[in-house]
Amino acid sequence: MHNVDLNQLASLINKNVNGANATAHVPEDKKLDGSITVETSHVAKVCEWLRGNSEIPFNALQSISGVDYMEWMEVCYMFAHFDVAAPRELILKVKLTDRVNPNVDSIMKTYPAADFQERECYDMFGIKFNNHKDLRRILCPDDWKGWPLRKDYVAEKTYNGMDIYPDNKMNYEDRDYIVRQAMIKKAQETKAQ
Amino acid sequence: MQTRWDIGEPEKPTINADTEQMKSELLVLNMGPQHPATHGVLRIEIWTDSEIVAHAIPHLGYLHRCMEKHSENIDFRGVIPYVDRLDYLASMYMEWGYALTVEKMLGTEVPRRAELLRILTGELQRIGSHLMAFGTYALDLGAFSPFLYAFDYRERILRLFEEVSGARLLYNYIWIGGVWNDWTDEQLERVKTFCDDMEEEAKKYHELVSMNKIFVERTANVGVMSLQDCLDFGATGPVLRGAGYKWDLRKNKPYSLYSEFDFDVPVGTGEQGVPGDCWNRYIVRMKEVIESIKIIRQVMDKLEPGSIMGKVPKIIKLPKGEVYVRTEAPRGEIGFHMVAEQDQKTPYRLKVKSPCFTHISMLPRVAPGQMIADFVATVGSIDIVLGEVDR
Repeated sequence: MHNVDLNQLASLINKNVNGANATAHVPEDKKLDGSITVETSHVAKVCEWLRGNSEIPFNALQSISGVDYMEWMEVCYMFAHFDVAAPRELILKVKLTDRVNPNVDSIMKTYPAADFQERECYDMFGIKFNNHKDLRRILCPDDWKGWPLRKDYVAEKTYNGMDIYPDNKMNYEDRDYIVRQAMIKKAQETKAQ
Repeated sequence: MQTRWDIGEPEKPTINADTEQMKSELLVLNMGPQHPATHGVLRIEIWTDSEIVAHAIPHLGYLHRCMEKHSENIDFRGVIPYVDRLDYLASMYMEWGYALTVEKMLGTEVPRRAELLRILTGELQRIGSHLMAFGTYALDLGAFSPFLYAFDYRERILRLFEEVSGARLLYNYIWIGGVWNDWTDEQLERVKTFCDDMEEEAKKYHELVSMNKIFVERTANVGVMSLQDCLDFGATGPVLRGAGYKWDLRKNKPYSLYSEFDFDVPVGTGEQGVPGDCWNRYIVRMKEVIESIKIIRQVMDKLEPGSIMGKVPKIIKLPKGEVYVRTEAPRGEIGFHMVAEQDQKTPYRLKVKSPCFTHISMLPRVAPGQMIADFVATVGSIDIVLGEVDR
């Protein structure tokens, strides 16, 4: 699918960007997509190299997506190369272990597309992008509380004094996510025993 | 060049005020959220110097439902009605993209007839969506009647979809593993007549609007998004092709059965104006309608009776891992990034890459220096659907 040899690309990144510590993750299951994880502090340099290099360039950033794994968070950068001869894709990842104040360098200088994408990621996960020119919420209102796509998010019942989530319309599945997760875990444990 | 204003030095007015002390400042104007030219609830904060736009700052989120969060609590089949509501003018493509994502992780084989029906509905949907874009764009620029012509023909597509899926806009027709319902021969015959009529109709549109002097004056050389800008911002679809870049996933990275089909990828050539301006983006859409008709006719030749649903487990559970699948929707590439956990009936994370979101981020780049009326033309030419921008 990706048309990219991830191991080769990872070694190329390591050769060209000092301290990037790129590791390729190639899943055994051929149906799934692989990815490359790099050091959080080096992501801006890696992206600069990705766009500018002559061997395996990627000329477009498609999107930036965050994933919350409870213990840590990931930022996934989806790159693509719009080229008729060699179309390719890449998922580049950085791992953020700090949930209280997660931050990573912005790649806006290299890929201007990152402007809105990083703002969305900040809006949904509270991940701060250093050196971003205008980092504020984009989809939620500016005074919204909490980071909606984090797994531990609990929907607010009121917003600015308005009842936005009345009891009769409450989607308890949404609200009690953590409780439900704990129940699933417990059920799995009892099943294992 | 002499203009009608060049009739000699104007008489100097006598002003009692101290002109040195007078200062000019930019006027902040809100375009939207209820503005007909924004095609939905988009607010653009425009800083203007009289008629000239100095900055444009888009404010999104008026239609934000956070379907990405909702989908984490619904089983894989249940997400389809939610993705329907992303791009509500091209719901078939949203369903298709999502179904492809799950099918890729499941490893499901979709029967040939189902694939062909997906292409058929998809291309019909593309025509419908482009007709909508054509009609509303002309409406933005002050021409009312093209809207009526476009809706007449779009209605015929919607009628067919309504008969097949039971809904006019939000179909829930493409399911994981295949499609929900089969088309009858009578309906397929009607598609054939529609194609013939549409081809004639497209010529009429071309004469009526595309080459219309006023339309060309309003759109050619306006809102130029250069190829470099398009690549910088990751633009796709008619915006990228309008800038003269031949890139179409159906051709360059074929999914489904598109590799079997013979069609062209129209690009903006600068027949009027320069590549990347509003006129070229518009003409790419109109040419794509013709290409879609070509594809539909080929589907008709290939269609054979058969099953329309593949083998899918009753309760879908995906392997632990992730995929990123993108497809070519009428407005650009729609991408689904799905992360799944072992033994979970719901997606762990579903991220939607929306083309219009990307295209709106280009507005601050193209707006400075434009007249406000030209800015309206630029916003219309990227053909935004806010359901997909805000998700």
